[in-house]
Amino acid sequence: MTSKVDAPLKSSPSDQRGWRRFALRGDVILGLVLVLPGVVLAILFKLVPLLRAAWLSLFETRGFEEPAFAWFANYESMLRDPTFIAAFRNALLIFATLPIWIFVPLILALLIFQRSPGWKVFRAVYFLPYMIAPIVVGIMFRQILAPDGPLNAFLRMAGMAPLAIEWLNGADSALLSLVAVAFWSFFGLGVLTYLSGLATLPEEVVEAARLDGAGFWRLMIDIAIPLIRPVLGYWTVLCTSGMLIWMFPLIYALTRGGPGSSTMLPEYLVFTTTFEFLNRGKGAAIGMALFVFVAIVSAFVVRRMYMEGKGAAQ
Amino acid sequence: MSVPAGTALAAPRDRTVPPANLRSWGIARWLVTLALVIVAVVSLYPLIFTVVNSFKTRAAFAQDPLGFVADITFENYVDTFFRMNVPRLLFNSVVTTAGGLLLSTLAALFLAYAVTKLKVWGSNFIFLFIIAMLVIPSQVVIYPLYETILDLGFGGTYQGLILAYGAFGLPISTYMLAAYFRSIPGELIEAARMDGAGDLRILFQILLPISTPAIAALSILNFVWMWNDLLLPLVIMGGSEKTTLMVGVALLSGQYDVSIPLISAGLIVALLPVMVVYFLFQRQILSGAVAGAVR
Repeated sequence: MTSKVDAPLKSSPSDQRGWRRFALRGDVILGLVLVLPGVVLAILFKLVPLLRAAWLSLFETRGFEEPAFAWFANYESMLRDPTFIAAFRNALLIFATLPIWIFVPLILALLIFQRSPGWKVFRAVYFLPYMIAPIVVGIMFRQILAPDGPLNAFLRMAGMAPLAIEWLNGADSALLSLVAVAFWSFFGLGVLTYLSGLATLPEEVVEAARLDGAGFWRLMIDIAIPLIRPVLGYWTVLCTSGMLIWMFPLIYALTRGGPGSSTMLPEYLVFTTTFEFLNRGKGAAIGMALFVFVAIVSAFVVRRMYMEGKGAAQ
Repeated sequence: MSVPAGTALAAPRDRTVPPANLRSWGIARWLVTLALVIVAVVSLYPLIFTVVNSFKTRAAFAQDPLGFVADITFENYVDTFFRMNVPRLLFNSVVTTAGGLLLSTLAALFLAYAVTKLKVWGSNFIFLFIIAMLVIPSQVVIYPLYETILDLGFGGTYQGLILAYGAFGLPISTYMLAAYFRSIPGELIEAARMDGAGDLRILFQILLPISTPAIAALSILNFVWMWNDLLLPLVIMGGSEKTTLMVGVALLSGQYDVSIPLISAGLIVALLPVMVVYFLFQRQILSGAVAGAVR
């Protein structure tokens, strides 16, 4: 049976007409029944909460008091809130590290793709951090970055004692540590994403270049990188949205947004405003602000997925 | 050396490579391997550090927090078992992850079949609607989502978390299955229909077996994020006894009297199941089928 699938056929126009006939004859009810569970799930647990968030953001809520409609008061107070400004400023600072997120995995992927000795082991090892839950990663690194932890011990041993600081306690070093830990956690995904793109290169070209060692990099820059540009774009978009929505467990484990608000990010601020300060209205307003940014970025991913997965024009 | 015909894309290259270059290439190769090894050590070290600590006694850790274990103890694992109520949390994690996995895969199977093979009215629109839900991350709607689950009477229950997992796993599952179903020739289904097979039989006895690779990929993907997720179980289950391992670990590490060896043992317990999955399915995972589809 599988042999038939090995060569997927594009359904021809006559096919399409054949299916249309079935659809007319076949029951519309079955179609509805099949579509229903998924659509209900999406509406109930994604669309409805989003609409409720938009609605809630217009209410003033203080602890457990009855919420009062207040138009855009939450948005006004949000924009005047220094923590909110700090959260988005921190997000911008994190975006500045994007080139590292894009190019380090790319270089590693190329080195692995070039079949460096032991490339299979390296590939497996690099992906390991991504499999570990971010909350576990965060707790692990809280120990590694501790003042007397292994990182500082290593720095002292290597004669770089002045660098052995309290990583999670300084404003700049805490944000830097957070990004570094996040990068540790996600770079393997980038390597694998690039490798899956590189796998589409024609085999003969790659083989020839591999034999001809020095020609390899030439080939990569001339042919491979232009060819995998869609993957590069995809990974860039993924990282950009990830910087907004991947950090919650890491912040929770490492810094709780501190010291001060130096590692506060919008996604964590939504959580603390809602569940710690019990200001649900303002939490929803911050959530909507975050939503705007996430939606703009992930719209690119959705567009790509739609183009790949939609059927022929109907 | 020669570039095969048909690769005219390649820029003309200097063919006279002097031996000096070759020798420097040898050094470059060593440097490359060295760089790869350093990255590998950095990738592995935190895990090794945690494993080693989890086998140290409190006293041994206080004396030498960074060194290797002198005498191995399992007391940390025994302690976490009671402090974190590991059997219960493990059970909770398994139930909610399995439930969420099953729910989103089934709903996605139905959707993908209806959208690609049944050609229901507006199937492209339905497909777009489902995958467009990707733009709503849980962080943005976490409180209203919690409220909705409470309103449905599922607060603090397995169903509540399973439904949330199902909904949040749905877009990517639908996308992967729909893309896979499109590559299955229509003739196959037509032939089955001629034989009198109904839609459900076609879906479960013909499409499902063929789609094993796609289902495997999306199951791994969903398993990893559902098992590893913190925010949804933290908000929906809180510190109740129905909470998951990840929440348990997060709460344990926040307690003041907990030693690092004890937390380390908790961390290892929490990540062991994912490591087992990684080991068993490394071929599928590393082939890139999974990485290409992460949100």
